[in-house]
Amino acid sequence: MILRALLLVWIAGALIAAFLWAPLVPGLGETTRVLYFHIPSAWITVVALAWSMVHSLLYLGRRRMEHDDHAAAAAELGLLFCVGATVSGSLWAKAVWHSYWNWDPRETSIFFLLLIYGAYLALRSAIESDERRARLSAIYSAAAFVTVPFLMFVVPRLYFSLHPDPVINPQGRLDMDPRIRVGFFAMMIGFTGLFFWLLSLRVRIARVERGRAIQPARAMT
Amino acid sequence: MPTSGSSFGAAVWAILRKECRSEWRTRYGLNAALLFAVTTLTAVSFAVGRLGDRTDLLAALLWVVLLFASLVSLSHAFVREVEAGTLTLLRLVAAPTAIAFGKLAFNLLFLTVLELITVPLFMILMGGPPPRWGAFLGVLALGSLALASSSTLVGAVIAQTRGRGALFAALCLPILLPMLAAAVSGTRAQWQAASAGAEMRLLASYAAAVLAASVLLYDHLWED
Amino acid sequence: MSAVAAVPGLAATLDAEGLHHRYRLGRGLEPVSFSLSAPGAAAVTGANGSGKSTLLRIVAGLLRPTGGTCRLAIDGAAITVGQCRERVGFASPDLSFYDELSVEENLKFAAEARGLRDVLRSVGETLDLIGLGSRAPERVATLSSGMKQRLRLGFALLHQPAVLLLDEPGSHLDEPGRTLVRTTIERHRRSGLVVFATNDEQEWRLADQRIELRGGGLGHPA
Repeated sequence: MILRALLLVWIAGALIAAFLWAPLVPGLGETTRVLYFHIPSAWITVVALAWSMVHSLLYLGRRRMEHDDHAAAAAELGLLFCVGATVSGSLWAKAVWHSYWNWDPRETSIFFLLLIYGAYLALRSAIESDERRARLSAIYSAAAFVTVPFLMFVVPRLYFSLHPDPVINPQGRLDMDPRIRVGFFAMMIGFTGLFFWLLSLRVRIARVERGRAIQPARAMT
Repeated sequence: MPTSGSSFGAAVWAILRKECRSEWRTRYGLNAALLFAVTTLTAVSFAVGRLGDRTDLLAALLWVVLLFASLVSLSHAFVREVEAGTLTLLRLVAAPTAIAFGKLAFNLLFLTVLELITVPLFMILMGGPPPRWGAFLGVLALGSLALASSSTLVGAVIAQTRGRGALFAALCLPILLPMLAAAVSGTRAQWQAASAGAEMRLLASYAAAVLAASVLLYDHLWED
Repeated sequence: MSAVAAVPGLAATLDAEGLHHRYRLGRGLEPVSFSLSAPGAAAVTGANGSGKSTLLRIVAGLLRPTGGTCRLAIDGAAITVGQCRERVGFASPDLSFYDELSVEENLKFAAEARGLRDVLRSVGETLDLIGLGSRAPERVATLSSGMKQRLRLGFALLHQPAVLLLDEPGSHLDEPGRTLVRTTIERHRRSGLVVFATNDEQEWRLADQRIELRGGGLGHPA
């Protein structure tokens, strides 16, 4: 209860600081504010994916359903944050570079993550049995875990050969004004807290749903 | 117990021969795949015409055609078993990893036959410049290995689900993207007289990674 | 005696403790415990849906149970799930063969995949044993259900397993077929272990032990 309130206050405080106290980045104008949402969202997308994949591997090793609950919940939340990051990034790109989508490395990577999340959740929705769903989606997650790193090697190569004029990506490459940095890291922490709080809720719901699914089988006379 | 020492190799070989025999008797998979590849190729050729100098487009289109033909056919190795109800039989005579590699070997053979027909046809219809055969075939071979390894694993997964064709494509795509990008890049490079070494290394390590993961993952695939 | 008929005399033991399995919709296998050892035969009985097939699938290593333990040991050495394949012969009504291949090709495939040394001899003897020698070159798609059942029996015996698991072995069979099942069980139980699931009372008499399964909509077991 206290933690939730603390989280609310923290994020509210960070937002206020971001909008009223921190300066704008020269050249980006008011669009600076997007970085307080966009980058934390992208960060959580990656954290959620890692969390989901690790729990998939743990499920295969230990076969405890809690790991599957975590893997699924993290994937659902990760998808939400991924959509948020993609859309906010696209809008920002339009504002700054006058184009919604450029297939630059960051955009390609976030799109790729969107595909992985989508595929994982599509697989889960196509399986009825709990145990089989947990197992097969864990296997797919493990396969994705193995192939994702390769994208990091391929994307730069592809990018540089398709787009000879590298578009300088201001996100994360700037020396941030200390006040921006404070707001930014505050939002990063806030988003992380938000993610884990939502995750705990979702895992609890999954556990209750599973308990309820077993009950009818017991009530046989 | 009259069993020989390396029953893994025996199982893989037996499964490969059985797949070839079954495929030959029904000829369903290869027909569909070839038809699909030729149709796609024809459509592209109509739409775009000859692309003699656009090596970047040529490389991309070649792999798109191969990818689509794979997505249409490489899942059948496992889906067929599930639909015919013969998966139990298979699981009783061979270890999961042996089944995996037997099916992979078949898919590789299948892909090779498909490419033997599609690639020359592609060159003729699209008017590509003569390739540097060493690099071209190297990228093609390693790319096919990478393509087949991932597709076979995903095929085994979706065969046990309700959604087959569309789900197979949706699941394959994110996993195949790195491999696809490297294959296109490598094919383009050899046409542009650049080195395709980095791409070939990437494809080889990608395939190795997927195969290594497969050895660990297939044991978990069939438990009910 | 032919090679297929002579079952190696391996001391097999099968122990289950609280073995149970739960399917999503509530069907499954209620907890069951038993202890079997070769030579001998055990009949698994129970109403439809009580989990007879489920139990056999678990023992064969085809199904991972929700809980409980099932231990198979031969000559004292525990057999892992992966090794079950070589030591256990399994036949059930849902075991299908490759329709586009012939009877002989199906058995040869099974023998080769298992790594059996003398494939042709094993297959030939099995075919004679189950009485499908004349049907060897015909495609499985053309077989009647009775002949397919014989083929399943042959498939289970092909590699001379120490443990034989038969699910409804007499289904679809005419009188000669049922006799074949009975002789097979009788011969195998002299040195190995046979566990068969059946509702046929004549077959129960072949067993020295009975595992009665309750559950499957009939209420909680005692």
